[in-house]
Amino acid sequence: MTLPQIISELLKLLFDLAIPAAACTLVLAGLALRQEGISFQGRFQKWILWSVILLTLPQFLSGFAAQGIVLPPQSAATSSSWVTSMETTFNSFVSGVLLARLVPVLAAFFILKAVVDGAQGHSPLSSILAAIFMLSVSSTSQLMQSWNSGSEFATTDMLVSAWNFLAGNILPEAAGLAVVGAILNYVRHKPVAPLVGSALAFLSVSAIWKLVQTMVA
Amino acid sequence: MENGLINLTNWLGNLLMPTLAGLFFAGAIWRFSKGMHYQHLSYAGVASLMCSGLLRLLESFAQQGAWNDPNRFWLSILALVNWVGNVILPLYGITQIVLMALHFAGLLERLTVGEAWIRNFVTALCCFGLSGILRLAEFWVQNGTAGVR
Repeated sequence: MTLPQIISELLKLLFDLAIPAAACTLVLAGLALRQEGISFQGRFQKWILWSVILLTLPQFLSGFAAQGIVLPPQSAATSSSWVTSMETTFNSFVSGVLLARLVPVLAAFFILKAVVDGAQGHSPLSSILAAIFMLSVSSTSQLMQSWNSGSEFATTDMLVSAWNFLAGNILPEAAGLAVVGAILNYVRHKPVAPLVGSALAFLSVSAIWKLVQTMVA
Repeated sequence: MENGLINLTNWLGNLLMPTLAGLFFAGAIWRFSKGMHYQHLSYAGVASLMCSGLLRLLESFAQQGAWNDPNRFWLSILALVNWVGNVILPLYGITQIVLMALHFAGLLERLTVGEAWIRNFVTALCCFGLSGILRLAEFWVQNGTAGVR
């Protein structure tokens, strides 16, 4: 069955908008990171998962096609001017307004929030981390695109790459933050051992994962 | 993201904490002048100067096995216990021996810093020489990066 021109053009539009939409979901992940802090209550992971799905949408759907489900072609033969116009408008909004202007302002607000958090006796770390995350949304999106294996398992491959990046690059740096936090806690007569223990665990999280795998096997 | 985090960690560990060390030492001097426990802030000052060293210490504990070795976490805990048992406790024992000798000789009874005039004198010395104390602590920490010589 041949799809009507408008449906195929809309499909092409949606596929073309997947990567800018992933940038939007990364921004939402940054907002969730600020609200939830480093306790990770679920919304941050949800938006990261949506980013991964959007960045691997063609490969994700090719997985269904491999199971015998017939899917419409992802690109129309020709594009109407209104489709091109909508795509250009959305891309311009994401790159020109959201990433170039709105996100830096949000990050600056998070820094203000960090100062206020500190003044109230709370940890400013959540706001600072959220600000760093917001300012690196573009590079994070490019990094995640570089993890796209192109296979029908690209979504899970990207999640595995994200886990490796987290365990190999981010957590050792978090260990340094934990050491600083432990010293500050010591000064303030607060518990030190949890932060020292977590620093040690951050540095060996892959080994703990292997240990759990060995226990289960 | 990674660069931002590593720069944040470097700024905290290598710039802010060594600066705060001066504040902690100043607090320790003030507490000493009031006859209160000052060791806590003194240790905090030394620890602030040793942020990188403490992280390297934890890294050395955590790197006792390959990254995918299931025993790596246990080995890191074992290394921590060994370090406490074979390095920290002997050092602590040496300080106890020194204190034992001082107590036996009666030195601490005659020159106790609990006496007000000595405490005031030492406080004044520390106040005038805080920068020197900080440089001395930094010298010890920097010497420590080259290992025991």
